[in-house]
Amino acid sequence: MNQWLDERLHISRLNDKFLRKAFPVHHSFFLGEITLFSLIILILTGILLALSYEPSNSLIVNSFDPGTTDKPNLIPAAYHSALKINAMPFGDMLRRIHHWTANIMVAAAVIHMMRIYFTGAFKKPREINWWIGMLLLIFAALTAVTGYVLPYDNYAYNTLKVIYGIASSIPWVGEWVAQAAFAGKFPGDGVIPRVYGYHIMLLPMILVALTAAHMLIMIKQKHTQPQYAKRIAYKKIVGVPLMTQQTPIMLLLAVAFAAIIVLFSAFIPVHPVEFFGPPSTTPINNIKPDWYLLWVFGALAIIPSFEVNIFGGLIGSEFVGAIVLPTIILLAMFAVPMLDRSRDNMYYAENPTNHPVRLAAGVAFMALLVVWSVAGYKPELISSGILTTGNANTVLWIATFLVPALCYFGTLGIVRGIRALRESDARDRAAFSHADD
Amino acid sequence: MTRYKRQDPEITRRKFINVAMGTTAAVGGVSLLSTLGAANPIFRLTRDKMPPLKGDILVHAEASKEGQPIRISDLSDQLVRAWPMGKGENGENVIRKGDPNNILALYRFPQGQIVAPTNLEATIGGETVAYSDVCTHAGCSVADSDQGDGMKCPCHSGQYDPKRGCVVIGGPPPRPLAQLPIKLEGDNLVVTGFFLAMPYPYTSEAEWESFKKEVEDQLA
Ligand code: FES
Repeated sequence: MNQWLDERLHISRLNDKFLRKAFPVHHSFFLGEITLFSLIILILTGILLALSYEPSNSLIVNSFDPGTTDKPNLIPAAYHSALKINAMPFGDMLRRIHHWTANIMVAAAVIHMMRIYFTGAFKKPREINWWIGMLLLIFAALTAVTGYVLPYDNYAYNTLKVIYGIASSIPWVGEWVAQAAFAGKFPGDGVIPRVYGYHIMLLPMILVALTAAHMLIMIKQKHTQPQYAKRIAYKKIVGVPLMTQQTPIMLLLAVAFAAIIVLFSAFIPVHPVEFFGPPSTTPINNIKPDWYLLWVFGALAIIPSFEVNIFGGLIGSEFVGAIVLPTIILLAMFAVPMLDRSRDNMYYAENPTNHPVRLAAGVAFMALLVVWSVAGYKPELISSGILTTGNANTVLWIATFLVPALCYFGTLGIVRGIRALRESDARDRAAFSHADD
Repeated sequence: MTRYKRQDPEITRRKFINVAMGTTAAVGGVSLLSTLGAANPIFRLTRDKMPPLKGDILVHAEASKEGQPIRISDLSDQLVRAWPMGKGENGENVIRKGDPNNILALYRFPQGQIVAPTNLEATIGGETVAYSDVCTHAGCSVADSDQGDGMKCPCHSGQYDPKRGCVVIGGPPPRPLAQLPIKLEGDNLVVTGFFLAMPYPYTSEAEWESFKKEVEDQLA
């Protein structure tokens, strides 16, 4: 059969070009793969969920609790179908797997990105792939947020309201943008079909296309080589070929990963729609976004409120905190490859301790996001008595500057220590070998 | 050879293709952009989306009692949420919950506790007062504070004092909650006019005024 196919499709050329791509063997090189597996699981479970989901926010009678004929119990169709999915065999499980995988996908992508950053793998010629990776991260977050809205329970409803509020806080065009994006004034009659379209068509297509580009470029440019490759064969590509050595590793990893997710989902419930109930006017206490957006939420919580009018446009704290600030952070991340001025192509992954400033800056950056994420818990910090309403903002603002600064200099110090140790080691070894002669 | 040199065409092939491509791309792009307009449905101001109006009766918003008129005896210093209920085109009752920003907060405090800047004229006997229940920050529904000091928004902990015109006493909200003028008519709580200040989501007086006018025009 191989030959039959080969004669028609020239499989062997494909084989030479792609399937023999060498994969470096190192555990940190599997993070990107895990992100990919997550995407596949998400698409599969997503298709199954879409088969039973009803994208509509028009009110229908709740078949589980119909009420009386003159006072029927009306709930949005989307919420009703979420209840029905929960009631079908393994339905709740499916939702949990989908939800958990989404969280893990973002986590894996973030850690993958850290590996790239700390080993300098974003340098020439791989800048383009860093940018594509950034886009992937952004669109993954957007997909997750739109997915949050779909069950259309009270939590989703309140989240959607906040998103709508953020969109309409853009000066001058905000109202129009929010209405165009979410099918009219909140909550528009067509808001769920709209978000559904984003979540299952528009955004996944973008994600898949970007992923394909990401991987093709990776195959074309090859992985950065781990340091050991330099010792084994200088300037040669070292690693196991995709076909057939890497494939079983990947399959094993994929299956093990899927198993872990299923285990997670079996024991840790997510987003209990029954608990939150259908959309209502009762607010939900301490509503929070997912962990990867918590920093935006935290920044919003500590930004002082203000409003300025410029040429009829209103610039408020909402706009600055939820749109300007994240944009600045993302732009800083986009700019990372441009900070490197080297002309040569990069072959080998760098040891982070050889680039202390980059390492320290990265650590400080993450510390900043962590501080803001903690600020997202401001109400809890206040009600548990750690902070008071009066001093919370001041303390958190000081931490915003102090913690990253401490992390920066702390990292520099530690790196200096490590290098001193390494150098003295080398000196010892040199002295020792001299004695040998 | 030079005798037969062909004269340069006025425009090179490369240039022609570039111009042609640029033009088609621009025209195509603009026409595609115009379809974006279709993404924004037309807003129809139906009765259930109108703001609380003069003559509206306040009814319970809580799911179990929804639609029942509120009695003074239902109220206390604990928040009670209400919808305004008005008349539809054919005179039937319409609960104005098509716009979720119409949700109202009602309180009844002992005589003398409500002070300026609350508009006392617009309360019932200086005891019962109605506000918009929608946070002026990002539009969450405001609740009673768990510490017993006024109202607190669950989204970003904005705080309001319902005894003092719902001024902001903490957190990010830029404006107090708008007060709604009410009076007692028989047993019913009845709205006597528009919100006294602009409610969420309005950010400029001009917009709010023009919306009020639109409503009035449509009812006239
Ligand atoms: S929405 Fe109320 S404080 Fe932000």
